[in-house]
Formats: sequence, structure tokens, C-alpha cells
Amino acid sequence: MPTVATTVSPPVPDTAPAVSGRAGARPRRSSATLAALPLLVFVTVFFGLPMVAVGIGAVTVTDRATDTTTLTAANLSRSVQGAYLDALTSSIKLSLITAALGVVLGTLLAQAVVASRLPGLRNLVVTASGVLANFGGVPLAFAFIATLGISGVMTELLHLTEAGWSLYTPAGLAVVYLYFLIPLMVLVIAPALDGLRPQWREAAANCGATGWQFWRLIGLPVLGPSLLGGFVLLFGTAFAAYATAAAMVGSVLPLVTLQIADALSGNVLIGQEGVASALALDMVIVAGLVMAIYLPLQRRSARWLR
Amino acid sequence: MTITQTKPGAGVEFRALRRTFGSTVALDGLDLTVAPGELLALLGPSGCGKTTALRMVAGFDHPDSGQVLVDGVDIVGVPANKRDAGMVFQSYSLFPNLSARDNVAFGPRIRKVDAATRRARADELLAMVGLPTQGDRFPHQLSGGQQQRVALARALALQPRVLLLDEPLSALDAQVRLTLREEISRLQKNLGITTIFVTHDQEEALSMADRVAVLRDGRLEQCATPIELYHHPATAFVAEFVGTMNRIPGRLTGSGRVEVAGQQMPVIGDVPTQTAVDVLIRPEDVRVSADVDGPARVVTVSFLGPTTRLFVELPDGIGIKADLATRQASGLGPGAAVRVELAEHPVMVSASR
Amino acid sequence: MAALTRRTRVWHGLVLAVFGLYFAAPLVASFVFTVDVPGQGLTGQAYADILGAPGFTDGLGLSLLLAVATIVLVLALVVPAMVAVRLRPGRLGTVVEVLCTLPLVVPPIAFVAGIGSILQLGPERLSDTPLYQTFLAVQDERFPVALVLSYTVLALPFVFRSLDSGLRAIDVPTLTEAARNCGASWWQVLVRVLLPNLRSSLAGAAFLTLALVLGEYTIARILTFETFPVWIVKVSGSEARLSVAVSLLSLLITWLLLLALSSAGTRAKTASEE
Repeated sequence: MPTVATTVSPPVPDTAPAVSGRAGARPRRSSATLAALPLLVFVTVFFGLPMVAVGIGAVTVTDRATDTTTLTAANLSRSVQGAYLDALTSSIKLSLITAALGVVLGTLLAQAVVASRLPGLRNLVVTASGVLANFGGVPLAFAFIATLGISGVMTELLHLTEAGWSLYTPAGLAVVYLYFLIPLMVLVIAPALDGLRPQWREAAANCGATGWQFWRLIGLPVLGPSLLGGFVLLFGTAFAAYATAAAMVGSVLPLVTLQIADALSGNVLIGQEGVASALALDMVIVAGLVMAIYLPLQRRSARWLR
Repeated sequence: MTITQTKPGAGVEFRALRRTFGSTVALDGLDLTVAPGELLALLGPSGCGKTTALRMVAGFDHPDSGQVLVDGVDIVGVPANKRDAGMVFQSYSLFPNLSARDNVAFGPRIRKVDAATRRARADELLAMVGLPTQGDRFPHQLSGGQQQRVALARALALQPRVLLLDEPLSALDAQVRLTLREEISRLQKNLGITTIFVTHDQEEALSMADRVAVLRDGRLEQCATPIELYHHPATAFVAEFVGTMNRIPGRLTGSGRVEVAGQQMPVIGDVPTQTAVDVLIRPEDVRVSADVDGPARVVTVSFLGPTTRLFVELPDGIGIKADLATRQASGLGPGAAVRVELAEHPVMVSASR
Repeated sequence: MAALTRRTRVWHGLVLAVFGLYFAAPLVASFVFTVDVPGQGLTGQAYADILGAPGFTDGLGLSLLLAVATIVLVLALVVPAMVAVRLRPGRLGTVVEVLCTLPLVVPPIAFVAGIGSILQLGPERLSDTPLYQTFLAVQDERFPVALVLSYTVLALPFVFRSLDSGLRAIDVPTLTEAARNCGASWWQVLVRVLLPNLRSSLAGAAFLTLALVLGEYTIARILTFETFPVWIVKVSGSEARLSVAVSLLSLLITWLLLLALSSAGTRAKTASEE
């Protein structure tokens, strides 16, 4: 299951006062570092080393006969060619489409809930979203197989196969992904929708603006960072998803996560670890770009919607 | 300043306005007339309907029945974005994605005024409200007081004929509130724009307004100048709501007089049917003098600068507040024995509670 | 407040109904799938079979064991670091935040590619050094420490966010000064004052980690350890109904746990706001 999907809480004002100049009860700087040291070491070793290994694996090749390791661009260039390129592009395409759908549908749902002005309903939906957005994976895949798979309950009930439906297509996968992407979007956008003050709408009307002018000049620009941030977060989540796809479609669909898994498990030719590392590096680069867009946007919208 | 109101202020009239929210009655037949160019404060406790009335002028709320007339024309059916009334909200109403200048220029932009003209107009208005150099700042970079100044400039940008202020100072610090209060009054006088100002702060209403309308439960209790309101309240409610008031038990003696604290006073205003009543007396109309044989005792003394407020207990256990010039209060500490006299004005009475 | 028009009400109702259907359908349909067997009518056999299914207790037991170990390790690492950072704001705080957020950028499949390469170093390069024994030990299939370490990394962002919001809600410097002023040692400050005040966010972090470990498939599958999710996928080939029944149960149990947790969190929050 993708771990990019973290619970997004509304911006909390930092209540801790500035403490500069209060030396009395504070630990010395060295002991603060000491308390944080185990964490720093742990992350460096158990997260840093694997990442370094991915980097090295992506740009080197080891000849087993002579046991020599040489620098090469072959892995990286293979990872963006042929079947691998197809997998990468179809992963990106699927993620873009599901993220776009998730943004629209999630915003729609959140708007309906926020505008209903029923606090009970709002709490229920936000809580359920927090749960649905974070955890699905294998069990979710099987629930959908039982529902919309070849002999799934809904498939047989509504004769979907005759209508051309198959769960084991990009469209089928998108339906499953949306099950956790829509709630994720609700979590991102609900605080932003709450932050849209009724005064802004009234002030705009007071200045002569129509409803459409309000949304074009004020509403959407204010929601903009949150919408874009949500899109980016949804994209990253869909892009990283492996368990759902693996449990559902095996290796039928070309997705980059499935390709990496195959390469790592030796399902294909020996000596694919280099390509696996290169593909992994490709993914980290894409996900890293995505986060680099997301974080500043989130900060900006938090400031506006305080 | 080069800004002048090119359009004269409009007269506003509420006629038999009624508005209910579910089972609560917000406006219960409100009748009120605001003269052109006047600053009128709508004063009352929360839930008295004052904000509802204001929002009806702006078009954000609609009466169940009754009329809102601007210059004699009923505007109830006119949509909010076609009305000629600028509004300043309580707080947080600036568009967060626009700079102060763009906030002020928003109305002209909607009206398709060209960019250079609206920019010049916005800068002029910002200078007028005392923010000549803050045009490029965004709302989150401005203090609460500065934000309300920008909101005021924005409300004036379309040269409306009516200015609506919905508790614009209530979210601000005391000091900022005082300065902004004076500036709003000054601006309003200069521009001559008809202004309706909603507040629950009587001091604000009394100090700023030409006339104050006191509302209670969706009805008008009294509309008068601040001085009139303070000295000649029409009802016991107004008397007690405006300024500080003592309630001292007394007894109606017939022929329009009441006996209270050993004195006989003439009564004005409505008289309840029962003889046991409360007499309403302002603290400055209570005279306290040191007297070792005096029947009353000083309980607490609060120094307020030019005046000093004493809390005095009468022999029968009734507590009353008295305001004295500070010089006259010297030597009257807690526990001092005093004599209490009431100024010989006609007084209002109210059913005792 | 302007009243909502009837049309918007109908529109909202419609939107909510459609979404409600979408989110309920897989759960209801899965349940029907497990109890409605063609030719046999309604039967609860799939659920009865779960406990006796070969590998079920082993898989679930392993996942639970990993979860407990991960929770202990991640809290032991993060709590002291975050408390120290609160007491001594500065660059260290940024470092801790970045380190704890970084795993979000790396998809688990990319992470496990790196872990795989490292673990291969053992047999390939280090077979005649004492380190080799360590490499074997962390891959012991009864208690794969390699998974605990990986899951701790994956859990860092969740635990960080949960504790961060908990720490924001209390004024750590003032609480600490008050406790020090009353004569408490640093240890007592942590155990007697700070941790009790962080109880709900600690519980939150623990629950999120539990759910994460119980559901994690990618890393366990690639490193070939038979945890609970890996077992479900394995058994699905031969026992479709059983695998759906287990999936449904595990989804419901996880969701109920998290739901209970977050509603307890909301209650605690409203109580403190009053």
C-alpha cells in the first residue's frame, strides 16, 4: 500500500511560544543532539544506505566472472527504453488520470459535505476518509475482485462482462485506486473549503461580482494551491501503489512498480538488478519532483487559509 | 485629499421589516428612517436584529415582509451585486490572494474600469485611510487594524451612496479601536456618505453617531441623538442599556411622584400599575457626602481618573453606585460613614424585579 | 446565514448518495460473495474455515510480532528526538522533520530494491567476515529483523505527524519548566509529565504503525517473508472465497480500530477546547 497517503490535518497554529532567552529549564544543546542521535543514525543507516545502494546499482554493472564493478549508463538508458519505458509511461498516465479524477470527485464530495452544514456528517466523512485513504492494499484488491472481477457479484448481477467491463484493465485499476484517492482528496481539500470564508463571497457580491466572477477571481485562486497540492499528492500515491495492482492484475498490466518487482524477484532474466535499481531511481526522481512541488504549495495555502 | 464623494448620500428607510429564522424572530416590524448623509448607529444586545437589518440593505438577507427603500425606491428584489452600498465586515473579509491595492481595486475591476485608472483610484483611497505605502502588502502581512482600513477603502471604491459597517471595530485591540473610531467619523463627515453602523458597544455608538437607534427583539425602542438618548431615554430598557444605571426600590405615591431613599421625586415616562417599583438613577445623580452620623457605608472605591466610583450600601442593604469628582471623593475610604442624596431630577421607574 | 436553497439540498443529497454507494458497494458485494456459494445457497463456511486454514495463524502471528517490534522501535527513536527538538528549537528540528518526512518521497518498491541490494552483499562479499552472521540473523524467517527495520522507516512519517500534532497541542517548554521547578529530574519530566500528556497521540502513532505493518505487502513479498498479506495473496489462488473473507475481516477490523482511534482523538480535542 502506498505510504505517501498520510493523514492530513488542518494547519494547527503553533501554540508553543518563542522560548529564546529562557535558559533555566532547558537541556544543553549537546544533550538535545544526544537525544536525537539514535534517530539520525537509524535513518542514515537503514534508509540512507538502501538509497545509496539504489543509486550505485543504477549506474554500475558487476561482472560476476571477474568480480569487477564498472560505471555504466546502460541500466539507466535501458530503464527508459522499450517495455520499461512503456511501463513508466503507463504508470505515469494512470497516475495522472486517477489523480485528476480523484481531485474532481474528492472536491465534489468535500464541497457537498462542508456545504451541508451538518457537523455530524462532516465528522463522519472526514474520519472515514482518514481511514479509507491510508489503508487498503491487498484486502481492498480482493474486495474489488469479489465485486467487479470476472465472477464478481456486481459483474454478474449487472451483466457487466457483456457490456465490455473488465477489472483487469487500466480503467478497472482506476476504479480501485479511486477508492483510496477520493478520501485522500477529501482530507486535503476539506480544511481548505472550511477556510473559504462566507465574508469573501459577500464582499465580492458587495463589489458587484457575480457568483462566477467570485469563483474565477477569488474562490479558485484561493483553493488553487490546495487543489494542485492535492493533485500532486494523489499522483504520488497512485504512482507508488504496488500491493493493490500486484494482488489484482499480477503482471498483466505494464506498471513500473510491477516491473521492478519482477526484476527483483528474478521472474525475468538474471542480471536485472541493475535495471531494477535504475527503475527505482526513476521513480524516486519522479516522486521527488512531485514532492518538491507539493510542499511549498501547502505552506502557501496554509498561510492564506489561516 | 482630492477624494470627494461625487454622488450625494442617499436616504434609507426600513418599513415594517419582518424576518424570522425558524422559530426565532430577528426583525419584528422594524420602522426606521436614515437621513441622507447621516451616520446612524444600530445599537442593541446580540440577537436584536441589527445585523439582519444591515444585511438587508446590502442584499445578503431578505425580509419575509416589509420594504427597504433607498431614496424612496424599494430595493428588496435587487440582487446583492447590483446594489449601491459598500460594506465593511466584522473581520477577515479581505481577499487573501489579492494585495491591499488589488482588494481596493476589485470593485472597479468588476465594473471594467481600466487598469491604470483603478490603480490610481485604489492608491488614492489607501492614502485616504492612512495606508499610503502598504498597497503591495497581502492581507496576512497587515495587522487587524490595517486590514479594516483596507476593507473600508474597498467599500468606498465604487463611490456607493450608502456605507454599511458591520461591527468593524469589534475584533480590534482597544487602542486601535479608539483611533479608527475617530478616523471613520472624520471620513464619513468629509465624504457626506449615508452610513449605517452596527455595534453592540454603546460607547462606540454614542461617540460616533449622529443618531443612535436602539433595537430590542427586532423592534425599534428609540432613535435619537446620543445626548437625547442618554438624558431622555424613551423606555426603561434604553435607560438601562445606555450608560450605567442604578435600580433602587421605591414606592409610587400617586400624583406622579415616587418615594425613594427618603426623598420624593417626580416621575417621567411610563408608570407600572403596581406601587412597588424600581427607580432608575444614574451614578452621577447620586451625591455622597462624609457624615459620621450618616446611615450609609462605603463598600468599595474605584479610582477612574477624573471621577471616582463608590459602591455604597444603604441602611436597608441596597447597594448603589455613585460617581463623584475625584476631589470630592478624597477621604471617603471603604467603611466610611456617609449620607446619600439623589439629584432632584424627574426619574424613570420600572416594574421591580 | 442565508438558507440553502432546495435545489442545492437535492444536489448535495444526490452527491452523497452516489459516493455512499461507491464506498459501500465493494464491502457489501464482498460479503455476498463469501456467503452466497453457487449450488450451496447461503453459508458461513468461508468464515469458519479461516482459523483452520494452513498458514493463517503463522502469517497473522508473524505480522503481529513485527508490528509490536516496529512500534517499540519507532517510538523509542522518535519520541526522545522530538521532545528534545521542542525544548531546543533550532536547526536540529528541521533536520528531524526532513528525515522523518523523506521516506514519503520513496515508493516502498524503490526502497526495497535498495534493501535487496544491501542484503545481497552478505553472501556475495562478506561471507568470510563476522558481519555475515548478522546478515543471516536479520533475515531469520521466524523474526525477520530486516522487516522491522524497513517498517520502522516506512512508519516514520506517520509517527512524526501524529506526535507533532500532539506536541503542538501542549506547551512543552512551560510544562517542562514547571516540572523542573517542582524538582523533577529530566527522566521524571519525560515519564511523569510529557508522556501522559501525549497519550492520545502516542496511541495514534502506535495504531497507525500497527495498521501499516498488518497491511504491508510490497517489502515482505519481495524479501519473501510470509506475513499476513502475503499469505492472503498466496491462498487466493486456491481458496478465492476464503481470501475474500479474510480480506473483508481484516479491512473491517483495521477500519474499526482506526475509527475508534480518530473519534477518541476528536473527543479529546473537543474536551480540551471547552
